[in-house]
Amino acid sequence: MEKKAFKSTPLQVEISDIDLSPGPFCMSFNFDLEPLKDSIDRFGVLNPPYLLKKSDNNFIVVAGYRRLLALRELGWQDTVCQVLPDNFPPLKALLLNLNDNLLHRKLNNIEKGMVLKRLTSFLNTEEIVANFMPILDIPANRQTLELFLGLEELEDTVKVSVAMERLSLRIAGLIRSIGKDDRLKINDLFTSLKWSFNQQWETIQWIIEIASREGRPIKEIVDERQIIEVLNNNRMNKPQKVKAIVKILKARRFPSLLETEKLFKIGIFNLSLPSGIKIIPPPFFEGIDYKLEIVFTKGKELKEKLTELSNLSGLEKITDFWKGAEHG
Amino acid sequence: MKQFKIRRILLERGAEKDSLAQKIFKKLPNIPIENVEPDELALIEDIEEMDKESLRIIHFNGEFLKSCPGTRRYICCGYKILNIGINCPMDCSYCFLQSYVNQPSLRIFTNLEDRLNSIGEVIDSFPDSIFRIGTGEFTDSLSLDYVTGWTDFLLPFFSNRKNCILELKTKTSFIKDLIKSSHRERIVVAWSLNTPRIIANQEHKTASLKNRIIAAGECQKAGFVLAFHFDPIISYQGCADEYEETVQLLERYINPESIIWISLGSFRYMPNLKWAIMKRFPGTNIFNGEFVPGLDGKFRYFKPIRVEMYAKLSERLKKWYDDLGIYLCMESDDVWRQSLGWSPKNSAGLSLYLDSRVKVIFG
Ligand code: SF4
Repeated sequence: MEKKAFKSTPLQVEISDIDLSPGPFCMSFNFDLEPLKDSIDRFGVLNPPYLLKKSDNNFIVVAGYRRLLALRELGWQDTVCQVLPDNFPPLKALLLNLNDNLLHRKLNNIEKGMVLKRLTSFLNTEEIVANFMPILDIPANRQTLELFLGLEELEDTVKVSVAMERLSLRIAGLIRSIGKDDRLKINDLFTSLKWSFNQQWETIQWIIEIASREGRPIKEIVDERQIIEVLNNNRMNKPQKVKAIVKILKARRFPSLLETEKLFKIGIFNLSLPSGIKIIPPPFFEGIDYKLEIVFTKGKELKEKLTELSNLSGLEKITDFWKGAEHG
Repeated sequence: MKQFKIRRILLERGAEKDSLAQKIFKKLPNIPIENVEPDELALIEDIEEMDKESLRIIHFNGEFLKSCPGTRRYICCGYKILNIGINCPMDCSYCFLQSYVNQPSLRIFTNLEDRLNSIGEVIDSFPDSIFRIGTGEFTDSLSLDYVTGWTDFLLPFFSNRKNCILELKTKTSFIKDLIKSSHRERIVVAWSLNTPRIIANQEHKTASLKNRIIAAGECQKAGFVLAFHFDPIISYQGCADEYEETVQLLERYINPESIIWISLGSFRYMPNLKWAIMKRFPGTNIFNGEFVPGLDGKFRYFKPIRVEMYAKLSERLKKWYDDLGIYLCMESDDVWRQSLGWSPKNSAGLSLYLDSRVKVIFG
């Protein structure tokens, strides 16, 4: 265990004398106090909180913010705290709390952002990237640092979504630059259903690009009738709703591609291919190589299917099925 | 168009004695010089911002003459790049350098003039080949000419060789020094063209369309062979009418007979370029089209959209003059056929075609 390099004084402190707003050393966000309250109820406070005295003789919390909140909720009047010397350096206080937190729990992404943001008051970017991002288990580079530093500006509802990993960090970074109403709308959409982070990432780009193309606010794109109908559809489960919304947005984002895929499917359907035979077009119709898939169990069956296939009229036009679409 | 602001010169150790470095010091006597180490690491912020006001003087130890990095999945023109520097003082939102460069500043390779002889040896050792060489791949060929005097020594050097041409590609109207030169033989001056809207909204700090075309017209009158590049063609509502405006301006100011070629290329990008662009130009609308992954990993407009854009523009250009040497940049055989009605089939075929244009124009 790390040796204590500072002196603190144990003191019985009135809870009401402690400033319990999230102070300059706080790195707690979106936590559940119940397990802690339960533990305190049963065993008392095992580790005393650390405090610093303020000029008005009240105290600010260095470490133990959540313990003190739990005590207040449990109705305790006072508790033993360790009071740090008045000249205790703020950076050291911050590191003390960081150390305390890292020993006992995993920080969520918002909390990591809080740590990094607080460190910027004392250290330069290089030091933070090299020495602190690795211990917070974050890729150590400036872009990621920037992303984390921006999280604190987000509305609490969005922060909760990030902390609970219902909204991806990348999305949080991207929606920082859009308006508040739009951001909250996106947060609602992604947290009301079960989206994978990849689905969120693909969809947000489509939404932003559709809005930009049509010169409309993002909110309006998300609030469109088709999407609202899906969201209100009681016969669909959450994954089905996500799938349906992705489909709606894809059709709007890629109208020509979708039209082409449709034409190709109709063309193939009209061919009446023998069962177990599938024609796969090149991805996005970009290349020129089509694939033929034949499912068979016996050589005889394969032969029959091949004969049937070679007698099929219209097969030679198969690569032209999609070319009649209107584009642009 | 005003000259670009140079705030400082970063002089890399080893470049002090290069002849081009000496010339630059003379041309910029009042700009502060900071000495820097060649392997000094740059700050990410500077790389991202590209630091377009610092001129970094570099003694370049790599190859000056390189093949254009085409891909075998699309038909490439077989161009050779003369690597005179990297980065440019203009700021096009779509510029691929934003995700390509890992060093900031306007990087000028000042031993270029001293290395010309070895470049000449390479060209001379293949007398039966035609070297189509350009300086506008990693920078703009003329944007810094008033500082570097590139045209002073490149024009006489390439003009004297029968198996090459030098193409100077630009988005500026900086032709004063060029026109003063007495060399015309084997020199092509080329302008990247786009619609007035794209130029105004995406090609920041570049010359306006009209100024580019007027500059081209002056070069033509002064005896230079011209080329034009519609690249990147960007699709948006009403773009057809606006590309029409561009062609009309060409009709007004340019005699089509001495145009060696006109290339058409649609906007394409590697995935990481998108994020670099969104960061530097948030709210840009250049990604609004229907982009799909291409065979080389770059995103391109969905093929039928490209075909339609190329077909419309080339038809229109052919109406102006039917021997413009129109070619497509990095497209597949089927896109060539569908949009232009013919195809060189592969990169070798396109090289042959462009070589034939060189022979027609320069003999
Ligand atoms: S002119 Fe060329 S090199 Fe310069 S910013 Fe534009 S695209 Fe990039």
